[in-house]
Amino acid sequence: MTGSRRSIMLSLIIGLVGFAAITAAQEDDLATVSTALAPRAEALIIARCAVCHSQDLIVQQRLPRERWIATVEKMTHWGAEISNGEADLLMRYLSARYHPGAPDQLPPPDSELRKAEPLTQKPGADGPLTGVATRGAGIFEHNCQACHGAGAVGGMGPKLVKSPILKHEESFRETIVHGRGAMPAWGPVLSRQDIADIYAWLLVR
Amino acid sequence: MNEEASRSLSRRTLLGKLVQGLGVTVALGPVTQPLQAEDRSVSKKEADRLIVRVARPLDAETPVQEFASYLTPNSSFFVRSHFGPPPSEAVSEANWKLRVSGLVEGSHEFTLKDLRQMEAVIITAVVQCSGNGRAFHRPKVPGVQWERGAVGNAQWTGVRLRDVLAKAGVQAGARHVQFQGADRPVVASVPMFVRSIPLGKAIHSDTILAYEMNGRPLPLLHGAPLRVITPGWMADSCIKWLTDITVQPDEAKGFYMQTAYRIPTKPIEPGASASGQTMIPVESMVVKSLIVAPTDGDSVKVGPTMIQGVAWSGEARVVKVEVSMDEGKTWEPARLVGEDQPYAWRQWQFIWKEKTAGTFTILCRATDAHREVQPATSPWNPSGFLWNGWDRVTVTVTT
Repeated sequence: MTGSRRSIMLSLIIGLVGFAAITAAQEDDLATVSTALAPRAEALIIARCAVCHSQDLIVQQRLPRERWIATVEKMTHWGAEISNGEADLLMRYLSARYHPGAPDQLPPPDSELRKAEPLTQKPGADGPLTGVATRGAGIFEHNCQACHGAGAVGGMGPKLVKSPILKHEESFRETIVHGRGAMPAWGPVLSRQDIADIYAWLLVR
Repeated sequence: MNEEASRSLSRRTLLGKLVQGLGVTVALGPVTQPLQAEDRSVSKKEADRLIVRVARPLDAETPVQEFASYLTPNSSFFVRSHFGPPPSEAVSEANWKLRVSGLVEGSHEFTLKDLRQMEAVIITAVVQCSGNGRAFHRPKVPGVQWERGAVGNAQWTGVRLRDVLAKAGVQAGARHVQFQGADRPVVASVPMFVRSIPLGKAIHSDTILAYEMNGRPLPLLHGAPLRVITPGWMADSCIKWLTDITVQPDEAKGFYMQTAYRIPTKPIEPGASASGQTMIPVESMVVKSLIVAPTDGDSVKVGPTMIQGVAWSGEARVVKVEVSMDEGKTWEPARLVGEDQPYAWRQWQFIWKEKTAGTFTILCRATDAHREVQPATSPWNPSGFLWNGWDRVTVTVTT
């Protein structure tokens, strides 16, 4: 069965049984879908949703597909930078994982997440990378600006222009990859090259 | 008695009440430093005392055992906003101003000092999130999954909104009063949190703009330096970080007034769409009670056990609280105790004498002066507002 057929079948199943009666077999099907989609979907959630709110707001919902669709549409309308393909992926993932019959406590989405393919580019080699400041500006605007402010002068997150962290490229990179405090881990979203580009741009700010 | 003396007396009474309530809390279980110094940021300790539903922007509810205190301490009062607090510099006394415009005689600005020089009013009132108890609606609805603690009872000090409006001079044609705070969404494409209340509620003598909470300057998380308090109404009207009041002929425009915080006028099938229904703003609270002690999962000994809780309603007083030990087949009256003030909650107690060991579910329900009785479950609505189903705590009785 092709991916899109499968998703149509699933929406039918979810639509027909509604919120109350999801059989064990259907539950397994949903779990398979959510596991398969988890790496990319979870990375998207960090990059596109967690800009405005932490993921716990999503994790606590148990909604039928039509309400997940409405939610993703509302967020896109409000400015979440989600392409049509990404919106479709999110709707499929969210309605497979956080459906009304799902248990209150769910196991972590995917322990393999850290090894997920970056969204933007293939990871580079282990060696030092040369960042390109002009490219870094765009990557920053798309991914970091909502918290760190336009021009990296600070917002909800700290100011990054002339920040002491820029003296240590390695800790800068580590912070982005693994997160720190309120800042989520961006490892699944940004490639090494992306991070090097942002770093290069911040240095010339 | 001059105003200053009466204020200082009321502060002493207030401290007394806090301490008195806390005595009960301490007797029930360990609670660390409830009277800690005012903190204008989210301290680690504070987050530990609350049940965090959303870490950013912070939405956190109070564990019900804190409600053994008649007044809910500032540091354990539930926290809710759409965008989180504004930067503290934006609402510092030096930078902050309240602007009143629209259908008024010219536009007016007030500093905090201006407001403090006006007649001060003190009101003890329950403030409750419209979505408190949303997690109990079936089928589940989207939104922060609040359970029992997105509510609190505090003493608010401020000025009457009508006194501020009178200084500004309300013009003919005014029907609604719109509020906006200093909080801003992360991205500019998200609608601003702008809401309005009808002029009637705005000029009610108990509707105030509060600058103190439990005798302390309003903490940043609770709307510093000024928030709206609409006693008896849900907290969607209690705008925090207030900077702009606009007097106007119509309700506020925008998502948070025209779409959100609305309920259908007629009951709808649980899970059904509300499209085509007439939707009205969430305003008055509904009658509700909570069991504060014992707490869910507690073990108690055979013999007398004190069950205690709180009960409140919207613009009517609570007249009765009842307890059931048999899933609501029979009810026995509880004793209403402590302070009895309009808009505040009422504490209640019930001595339960269980003779046998086992697992028991305690239910409670309240009735208000308008004869509204707390129902077993609340009418379902698509956003899960106004939950007031019977409260329920399960305990084990041992010999």
